[in-house]
Amino acid sequence: MGYFRGFAVTFRKLWEKRVTIPYPEQKRDKPERLHGRHVLNRYEDGMEKCIGCELCAGVCPANCIYVRGADNPPDDPVSPGERFGFVYEINYLRCIHCDLCVEACPTEAITESKLFEFSFTNRSDAVYTKDELMVDGETGRPQQLPWEDWRDGEDTHTSGWMRATSPSGSAAYVGKVSWSGELGYGIRAPEQGRSGGEANGDDEEEGS
Amino acid sequence: MNDVGQSVEITVDGRTVLANPGELLIDACERTGTYIPRFCHHPRMRPVGMCRSCLVEVDTGRGPALQASCMLECSPGMQVDTESERTRKAQAGVLEFLLVNHPLDCPVCDKGGECPLQDQTMAFGPGESRFVEEKRHFEKPIPVNDNVFLDRERCILCDRCTRFADEVAGDALIHFQGRGSDTEVNTFPDEPFSSYFSGNTVQVCPVGALTAAPYRFKARPWDLEEVESTSVVDSVGSRIAVQSSRDCVLRFQGVDADAVNWGWLCDKERFIFEAYDHEDRLGTPLLRGDDGDLAPTGWGEALAAAAAALTDVDPDRIAVLGGARLTNESQYAWTKFAKGVLGTDHVDAQLGDGLPADFVLGLPRATIDEACTPGGIIVLLGPDPKEELGSLYLRLRHAVVHDGATLIELTPRATGLTPFADHSLRVRPGEAVDVVRAMFGEGGTAPIGGVTVEEAQAVGAIVSGAAVGQNRPVTVLLGRQSLAEAPGTVVDAALVLHDWIADVRFLSMLRRGNVHGALDLGLAPGLLPGRVGLDEGRPRFAAAWPTTPATKGRDALESLRAAADGEVDVLVLLGADVLTDVPDHDLARRGLEGAGTVIALDLFATPTVAAADVVLPATAPTETDGTVTNLEGRVSIVARKVTPPGTARPDWMIAVELARRLGADLGISSPDDVWAELSVVSPIHAHIDPEALAVQAREGILVSGGPALVRPAPLEVPSHDKNSYRLVVTRSMYDCGVLTAHSRSLAGLAPVTRLAFEPTDFAALGVAEGGRIEVRGPRGNIDVVVGPDSRVTKGTAHLLFNQRGVSAGDLIEATAAVIDLTVVPV
Repeated sequence: MGYFRGFAVTFRKLWEKRVTIPYPEQKRDKPERLHGRHVLNRYEDGMEKCIGCELCAGVCPANCIYVRGADNPPDDPVSPGERFGFVYEINYLRCIHCDLCVEACPTEAITESKLFEFSFTNRSDAVYTKDELMVDGETGRPQQLPWEDWRDGEDTHTSGWMRATSPSGSAAYVGKVSWSGELGYGIRAPEQGRSGGEANGDDEEEGS
Repeated sequence: MNDVGQSVEITVDGRTVLANPGELLIDACERTGTYIPRFCHHPRMRPVGMCRSCLVEVDTGRGPALQASCMLECSPGMQVDTESERTRKAQAGVLEFLLVNHPLDCPVCDKGGECPLQDQTMAFGPGESRFVEEKRHFEKPIPVNDNVFLDRERCILCDRCTRFADEVAGDALIHFQGRGSDTEVNTFPDEPFSSYFSGNTVQVCPVGALTAAPYRFKARPWDLEEVESTSVVDSVGSRIAVQSSRDCVLRFQGVDADAVNWGWLCDKERFIFEAYDHEDRLGTPLLRGDDGDLAPTGWGEALAAAAAALTDVDPDRIAVLGGARLTNESQYAWTKFAKGVLGTDHVDAQLGDGLPADFVLGLPRATIDEACTPGGIIVLLGPDPKEELGSLYLRLRHAVVHDGATLIELTPRATGLTPFADHSLRVRPGEAVDVVRAMFGEGGTAPIGGVTVEEAQAVGAIVSGAAVGQNRPVTVLLGRQSLAEAPGTVVDAALVLHDWIADVRFLSMLRRGNVHGALDLGLAPGLLPGRVGLDEGRPRFAAAWPTTPATKGRDALESLRAAADGEVDVLVLLGADVLTDVPDHDLARRGLEGAGTVIALDLFATPTVAAADVVLPATAPTETDGTVTNLEGRVSIVARKVTPPGTARPDWMIAVELARRLGADLGISSPDDVWAELSVVSPIHAHIDPEALAVQAREGILVSGGPALVRPAPLEVPSHDKNSYRLVVTRSMYDCGVLTAHSRSLAGLAPVTRLAFEPTDFAALGVAEGGRIEVRGPRGNIDVVVGPDSRVTKGTAHLLFNQRGVSAGDLIEATAAVIDLTVVPV
């Protein structure tokens, strides 16, 4: 009998749903607000959102962001307004994915995707340039670099959702859209917050 | 300033505070540790009370009331409350109003991060705005001149820029326009803000309404590292803050040195940093190869070639020219190398465009503060300070316009100070000494040039104190009035002034960066470091130096003449672009061709450098540690902020290396070593050492004392022929000099010159404006473009030096006392 008692746990678990997954062939769904690799977004008309204000670089605790602004060419502006991000580099050997850059950005230009599994074999690959960070000018999707392992869903929902608070922290703004439209996605539905109910549906289960 | 007995006792937030008589409440509070918010108030400008941010509750015995503390002089018993409920509410209310139309585009604004409006809104503001309506809109930045952009949306109408332009610079070209909510700052239609001082408005703007093109979007304030330094663009020695990011200088800001520039800079001082950062900077030594071309080489080869050229050469056949842009330390190293090791005295930092060095050092010197004494008398016997010494012009203008100083001009052409001058005597070139003699009743009764004897005597009565009372200090601003006349003309006139006016003092207007340091440290013929002549100084230097020159050597023009005659085997050029800067271009050309080996230390491949055999790249002022001496004799620190391009080295290091290769040890391994040695050999520098300089960094340390006055032989000036025009050649702020030409924002500002005549003279020529005539001068006939100019005096013709259009250097012959031009009939 002792023999069967020893196997009882094994038999009981044999029919249960499996906990492990065959990583890396298969990956778990990621939380809504996961801090992954950054992307630089565009407006719906294709203009870059980044204005080169360097607030992200200023707030970065790891000093991993290097930005320089420049005068927008009047006949072919890169971003709305006078100034655009001329140089934009993030050094992923330093980045700690704290998301303070996203909080600091006044135009929602920089947000974080859910891709965190990327590795490089040399230092220059680790410094992502503006060309690599900027979303595709046609689809608004992040560029997928050779050493990055993108899966479905990791490149979506990279913008406004990352805002942890509503404007001014005021409850009056809950449920109101307060972010700009984005190439490939348009204007997203408002974020509902913790007590938001069904509008956010499936995300709710995942996130909280 | 004032002793405690005269002070005014006031109460600020319950504390008793002593204010100076006449001190504004806002200043007294700040001085004693209570900051009151302000936008329009500026310590160097008169109060206007525009912005109302400095409202505080003041009780002067009639009960507490809100008053603008920038408009209120402290009075005895004043009770001030800067923290009361009403004060706070008023200040927050004003800020909320100021922000009503402010666009809050801080992320793209160059001021964001160093903005008084941001800072004071955080500290004193209401925290949020109740204004939800559409804000006022203007066209986003409009250029008000080539270097300054104006964004009227951001403007809070504080009146600082307009007050600066009107009150300080005297170029009232930006103004308030419109009324009520339509009020805006702008230039007049079709008239740009073409002021030499426009960059100051950017610095005083408390918001981002005025931004400078060279700094536009280059960096944010938190990127910048800063070090305080001294401007070496001209000899005023304005204090500047050098700001850089990622090893690249991005901005110069004026620093308020009370004795020198009061925080102001001219645009040339402000924007010249672009040249230092230019990609054309020399970064590697060049050596002329066998094929006759200059080719890049290593320092070892270049120094070996230079040392080989200097080995076993008769010292009399070596000449060293230039060095006015070097630091004091480099100048000492080069003087020691040239005079103490090579043994030549053919050394001159001035390129034939200055005054005799021993004469300048022998005059009783004035400081800028002494020259600008309220109620003093200023005699301008030199160039136009507005064109050549911008920050000095602002101080002089303030003294004359606001402090009751009397200005007397003895110049051949109207200057920037003419509108404020008490008397302007238009002196024909070469006749300054006759006019000055007439001032004191010497000479006859016939008019001299355009000046009548009565006029001259009226001026004489002022400067000698007879007309305006005694005890008004007289300062003569002395410099070359015109490059087309020999320096003897102003020297002779200065000597007469020196002899006739009791206690007169002189402020040298030699303009080139550190030329006064060069004179003090012996980079001039017949002088040794410490303002001593060869013979007086020899005992002191015999112990410290391997050798000293036996007799006084040649000055720059004489050296070039000797070189043209094949008497110079080695010509060393210390940042000297002789082909451009020597007034007599023909002489410079012949001298450079006739010299044997030419060794040039420079920042850029100038035309002169292109003719050199060995080229050694030197460091710019932002890449060098050291000191400079300004026109008063004030020694102040130049600080290194960035690394030099390529392998460029400081000039002193090159002198040390060359000496080592010639078997001599200069005993200098850092700039500080120079001060240790100077304190032994130069008594006038004994009170200066690196520690003392660090303590007095802002104001610098004055060097005083000097040799006895020398009296050069009087100059013979030929009398003026009525049918000829006497040539006047002056400089303008921007020219085709190598630094200006390499600053992106300044290069385009250089004017095009033409031979200018007084309007009636011009009418008599019978040529259309912009037409061409042929004139005959000492260098032969030349075809020139002509035009009228009301600033020119009758009987003279005017040209700007080193400009496009007409090359003044081709008309000037250095041996002539004056240049007379006759018009060749068609």
